[in-house]
Amino acid sequence: MSSGLRRGLADLACRALQATLPPSLQSWGRAVRYETAGIPDDTKALLFALDSLCGLMPRAVASHLLQPFASLIGDGAPFSGGSITMNVYDATMRRPRALGIACMIGAVLLGLAYLAIAGAPTRYLVINAGALAVGLTMLALLGRIAAAGRQWTSGAITAMAGALLATALLGAEADGATRWVKLGGFAIQPSLILLPVMLIAFSQTRNALATAGIVTAAVAMALQPDRAMAGMLAVSLAVLVTIHRDRHVIVALAVGAIGFAATLARADALPAVPYVDQILYSSFGVHAGAGMAVLGGSVLLLLPAIVGWRRDAENRAVYAVFGAVWFTAIMAAALGNYPTPIVGYGGSAIIGYALSLTTLPRLAGGRVGAAFRTCGETDRTQHDRHLLVGLA
Amino acid sequence: MSMSRTRALSPHARMVLAVLLDARGGWSHGYELARLADVKSGTLYPLLIRLEAQGYLEAEWQQPAEGGRPPRHAYRLTASGVQLARSNPPGQTATPAVRRGEAII
Repeated sequence: MSSGLRRGLADLACRALQATLPPSLQSWGRAVRYETAGIPDDTKALLFALDSLCGLMPRAVASHLLQPFASLIGDGAPFSGGSITMNVYDATMRRPRALGIACMIGAVLLGLAYLAIAGAPTRYLVINAGALAVGLTMLALLGRIAAAGRQWTSGAITAMAGALLATALLGAEADGATRWVKLGGFAIQPSLILLPVMLIAFSQTRNALATAGIVTAAVAMALQPDRAMAGMLAVSLAVLVTIHRDRHVIVALAVGAIGFAATLARADALPAVPYVDQILYSSFGVHAGAGMAVLGGSVLLLLPAIVGWRRDAENRAVYAVFGAVWFTAIMAAALGNYPTPIVGYGGSAIIGYALSLTTLPRLAGGRVGAAFRTCGETDRTQHDRHLLVGLA
Repeated sequence: MSMSRTRALSPHARMVLAVLLDARGGWSHGYELARLADVKSGTLYPLLIRLEAQGYLEAEWQQPAEGGRPPRHAYRLTASGVQLARSNPPGQTATPAVRRGEAII
């Protein structure tokens, strides 16, 4: 790359940053630009500019998005767009679970937008909205139990694995696959609800009992059979083994890989279901807005993992597995006739995502599941108020 | 200061504060600060913005000595910033205990 090009790119990055920053932070955009111009080495100048862009751009975008909410706070002074907005942003970024909840709500809303634009039956929209309410309620109830009873995690993983195995053996069958349970007139998919939380919990608690649970789940996915969920299990464990290479993960991964191979070996003849499968492709054909809603909602699902990975080094395995779980679900939906999580029609994934959020720490850097004790009611402050307003 | 709750400073924040403290009241610039504190500019600027918003940092535009060069944004610690830097030296283990009156960084 020529010297002029490097200098030009550096200037372009600075100008892009300046164009994005809110008025109250404009002087900082100029500061970066002028500082970059003063660096004699072209490569170092380019790196300085690009890194500043990466560091400040998310805050700039957040400032714009949160400005309407932050202006409601007042604080006895007119909203300036600077520190208050950044406090809201920072407070959210420091709370992985709160961020996850915001992302889930955002993704469901985008999914509803897609369904509405695509002309889905109103019943579908109501069911997805209802699933969000159920998910949030479960999150509120189970979040506290999960924080208080981590010693029961292994048992819970095993119990959930038993439910998945029971589904494979006794569940509702369609076109050669047995993945569903009929409940109150609805066919729910237990693997989408339970497997994500099981895998993320396994990244935190590994012992013989938990491993037996994951192995059982792998067998259940092979029996159902369900390539998407078997792939989710294998990929998540493969990610986990790169961080925690212990015998529990290795055994679970070996069985998970065999289970996934078994699902690949069997034919999967399930046809695509409208508004559930294949919507990552078809949504853009319906309308660009529908496509953007589906794409944006899918990206939102991964945001807690990305932010957590960057900001909470102590719990990286949790975020890595969380990201792997939902990334695999999205990829499976892109590659085959499998449900598109959250943004497509179907409440199981919405409830499953909510449950998986119970495994994320409440505060970045805090011990997983123990955050309740570090963030009590008496500790609510301006940051929390900004966060609540930002999430409202 | 309107901030009523605090949390432990990050190692990067401590390093930047230490470099600013070493300047002994003199003005520092972004590139030099990033280099001396060994932090990336993407980490440095959000930190500087927050320190300034919380009153720990003073910023001003300085006209260049030579003509034809752009002005530079310069930074130095305020009195409360000096106090913050002294009470949070680099290398100190971050403690979960929070104290009122410290920075939220």
